[in-house]
Amino acid sequence: MTTEGIPQFLTYQGIPLWRHVRVLQWALQIVSGVLVVVLVTWFFFNIGNAINERDIPYGFSFLQRAYQTPIGHSFIPYSPSNTFLYAFLAALTNTIIVSIIGVILATILGTFIGVARLSDNWIVSKLATAFIEFFRNVPLLVQLFFWFYVVLALPPIREGYAIAGRLFINNSGVSTPWPAAPSAPAAAAWIALAAFSVIAGVSLYKRLTRRETMTGKTSYPVLYGAIAAVAIGIVSWFVVAAAFGQAPLVISNPEPHGAFGRLAGGFTAPAGLIALMIGLVMYTAAFMAEIVRAGITAVGKGQTEAAKALGLSPLKALRHVTFPQALRVIIPPMISQYLNLTKNSSLAGAIGYSDVTNIAKTMTQTAPAVSIFVMVMIAYLAISLTYSLIGNLYNRRVRIRGR
Amino acid sequence: MVANAHSLDSPALPPPRSETGAIGWARENLFNSRFNGVLTVLAAIAIILTLWFSIRWAASEADWKVVTRLGSQFVIGQYNTESACPGQNCAWRPQVGLLLGIFLLGMAWGVAGKSIAKPVALTAAIAVSAMAFVPYSLDRMGWDTRLLLLANLPAVFAGLALARYTPLGNVRGIILAGVAAFSLTLVLLGGWVPGLQPVPVLRWGGLLLNVILAVAGIALSLPIGILLALGRRSHLPVVKTLCVVFIEVFRGVPLITLLFMSQVVVPLAFPQDFSQNSLFRAAIVITLFSSAYMAENIRGGLQSLHPGQAEAARALGLHGWQITFLISLPQAIRNVIPAIVGQFIALFKDTSLVYIIGMLDVVEIGRAFIQGNPEYLASAKELFIFLAIVFWIFTYGMSYVSRRVEQNLGVGTR
Repeated sequence: MTTEGIPQFLTYQGIPLWRHVRVLQWALQIVSGVLVVVLVTWFFFNIGNAINERDIPYGFSFLQRAYQTPIGHSFIPYSPSNTFLYAFLAALTNTIIVSIIGVILATILGTFIGVARLSDNWIVSKLATAFIEFFRNVPLLVQLFFWFYVVLALPPIREGYAIAGRLFINNSGVSTPWPAAPSAPAAAAWIALAAFSVIAGVSLYKRLTRRETMTGKTSYPVLYGAIAAVAIGIVSWFVVAAAFGQAPLVISNPEPHGAFGRLAGGFTAPAGLIALMIGLVMYTAAFMAEIVRAGITAVGKGQTEAAKALGLSPLKALRHVTFPQALRVIIPPMISQYLNLTKNSSLAGAIGYSDVTNIAKTMTQTAPAVSIFVMVMIAYLAISLTYSLIGNLYNRRVRIRGR
Repeated sequence: MVANAHSLDSPALPPPRSETGAIGWARENLFNSRFNGVLTVLAAIAIILTLWFSIRWAASEADWKVVTRLGSQFVIGQYNTESACPGQNCAWRPQVGLLLGIFLLGMAWGVAGKSIAKPVALTAAIAVSAMAFVPYSLDRMGWDTRLLLLANLPAVFAGLALARYTPLGNVRGIILAGVAAFSLTLVLLGGWVPGLQPVPVLRWGGLLLNVILAVAGIALSLPIGILLALGRRSHLPVVKTLCVVFIEVFRGVPLITLLFMSQVVVPLAFPQDFSQNSLFRAAIVITLFSSAYMAENIRGGLQSLHPGQAEAARALGLHGWQITFLISLPQAIRNVIPAIVGQFIALFKDTSLVYIIGMLDVVEIGRAFIQGNPEYLASAKELFIFLAIVFWIFTYGMSYVSRRVEQNLGVGTR
C-alpha cells in the first residue's frame, strides 16, 4: 500500500498533536493572548456603554478648562483660574520636588544608619537596629498621621516659636527665609552662571585628582575646586548685578502680617509637607540602612583588613575602599527604594498635602475619571522610568570593568 | 630553678580582670578606641534622656483615654453596632473566626512539632485569652464575649490533638482546614446563611478587616506571583510580554492610586447590573499589586539557581513541569524567604490604605474618631503610638518567625 498522492498531514504518525510540545505552547500563547484581548475589549465596550447610557464625560478636552479649585500648597505659582492641565502639572511638581528632596535626605540618613548598624560600638549598633526595626515595621500611614498630629499640636501662629525672628515654627508649618528674585531675567542669568561655576569647580576637582593619582603630587583637589566654584559664582553675581542694575536674588523673610499674624514672604512649608517629609525620610531610611549594611558586608573582609594594613583610618577605609565596592551591590535595590519613596508620597492626601494623587482624586469630581486615571498612571510610570534610567546609567559607571 | 619547675605544675593564672566579664566586654565593645568611647557616652546620654522624657510623658502627661474609649472598635470596627447588626448581638461571629485561627495555629504546632510553631501558637492563645480579663467596658460585649475569648486556650489544644491523632495532621490537612476556616469565617461575618442577620461588608472594620485582607492577599499573591514569575521567564513571546506588562504596570503605580481608581473606574468597566462590593475590589487590587512584587522576588530566586540543577533533573528524566515544581521552585523559594516575608509584611502594612475607598480599618477607625470628636484631638499622638505598637507586634512577629524558619531550613549553611 502506498501513501503517494495523499497530503502529508493525513499520514502524520509522529507524537499526537494534543501532546506535542510545540503545538501545546502555541495553543497556550494563542489562548492567553485571545483571552486578554477579549477581556480588555469587553472592559472598553462596557466603559463605552456606560459613557453613552449614563452620560459620563470623557476625553481630554477638560484640560483646557479652568480648574476653579484652590490647591492647598504648590511650589509653582497657582491660582484657581488656571487650567486643569496647569493644576495637574503643579500637583505633579509637588510630587517630584517631595520625591527629590526626600530621596536625598533619606539616602544620607539611611547610609548613616546603615554604617552605624555595622559599628563595633555595641550601643551605636543596637540603636541603629532599633531604629530600623521600628520604622520599617510600622505602616507609613500611621507614621504620617503621628507626625502630622505632632505638628498640629504645636502652638498656633501668633504664639508659635520664632527663632531669631526669621524662622517660624507653628501649627500651620515652618516658615524660613527664602531667596526671591526681584527681576526674573537677572535671576535666571545668575543661576545659569552659578551652574557653570559648579561645573567648572567639579572639572577642576577631577583634573587635580587625576594629577594627584598619576604623579603623586599633593594637589588639594577639593580645596581648589571649591575656591574656583565660589569665586566664579561671586564674580558672576557682581557682573549680573552691575548689568541689570539690581541684585539677582534677595533674601525674603517671613513676617507676621495682618490681624491674624499670618506670615507673608519667605517660604512656608505647610504642616502636611513637614509631616510627609519626616515620615517618608524616616520610613525609607530604615529600608535603605539595611541595603547599605548588606552592601558593606558583601565586600570581602580582606578588603577592610588590607586597607587597615596599609595604614588607612577606619573612616578613610570606608570612604576609599569599602564604599566604592559596596556601591555596586547597593545601587540596584537603592533605585527601587527611590521609586518606593516616590510612590509612597501618594499617601500625602491622607494628611492633606496636595500631591498628584490627591489632586487627581479631587479632579475626578468635575472631570472624566478614566482620563485622569490614564494621566496619573503615565505620570508615575514616567517618574519611575526616569529614576531607573538615571540609576542604570550610574550603575554602568561604577560596575566592575572586565579587563 | 626549683621555683620555676614548681610554677610549671601550678594551674595557669586566669586572664586579667580587665579582659573578662563585664569590664572586658565593655572595653571590647564600648571603649575600644577614643572615638568609640566618645560615641558610647553620647549615645548613652541620648538614650537615658529619651527614655526619661518618654516614660515620664507616657506615665503622667499622655492621655490614653482615646485607646480605652475605642476599645473593641479597634478589633472589629463598627461590626457590632446597632445599625450594622440590628436586633442581634453579632460579636460572636468575628470571635468564632478568631477561635478558628487559633485552632489552626494549634494544628501547625501539632504538625511542625518542636519548632517556632509551638511558642507562636501558645503565645497567641494565651495573649488572646488574657484579653478576657481586660477591665475596660467592651461596648455591647458581655460575659459571653469574655468566655469566648477564654475558649481560645482550649482551642489551641484541640487543634494540636486533631493534628496529632487524625490523618489531617500534615501540611495538606492544614491547608484544607485553613481554606475551610477562612471561608466559614467569611460566611459567618457576612451572615450569608439563613437565620443570621446579614452584615454589609462596608461595616467590617478594625483589625478584623486588616487581617482578612492580609490573609486573602497572602494566600493568593504567592501562587499568582509564582505564575507571573514563570511566565516572565518563559520563552513564549505572548505569555512573556503579558506578564512583563502586568508586573511593570502594577509596580510602577502607587497602591493608593490603584485602590482609588478601582473605586472610580472599575465599576464602569463591568456591566451596570454586575454585583460588586468594595471589600472584594480592595482585596483583588491589593492581591494583584502584591503579586507583581512577589513575582519579582521569585524571579530573583529562580535566577539565583545554578542551571546545573535543571540540567541534572532533565538528565534524570524529569520533564518540564516536574523540573519547575519539584526542583527549581522549592529551592528558589527557600533562597528568597526573607524577600517573600518582607512582601507579606508590606502587604499587611498596605491594608491600612483601604481608607481611601471609605473602609474603616484599624487606622481609619482611630483617625475618624479623632476627627469626629475634637475633644480628643490632643491625644492623637497617643492613638497613633498605640496603633504603631499594634502593627509592630504583628509585623515584627512575622519577620521573627521567618528568621526562625530560615534557620530551621538551614538556608545559607548548606
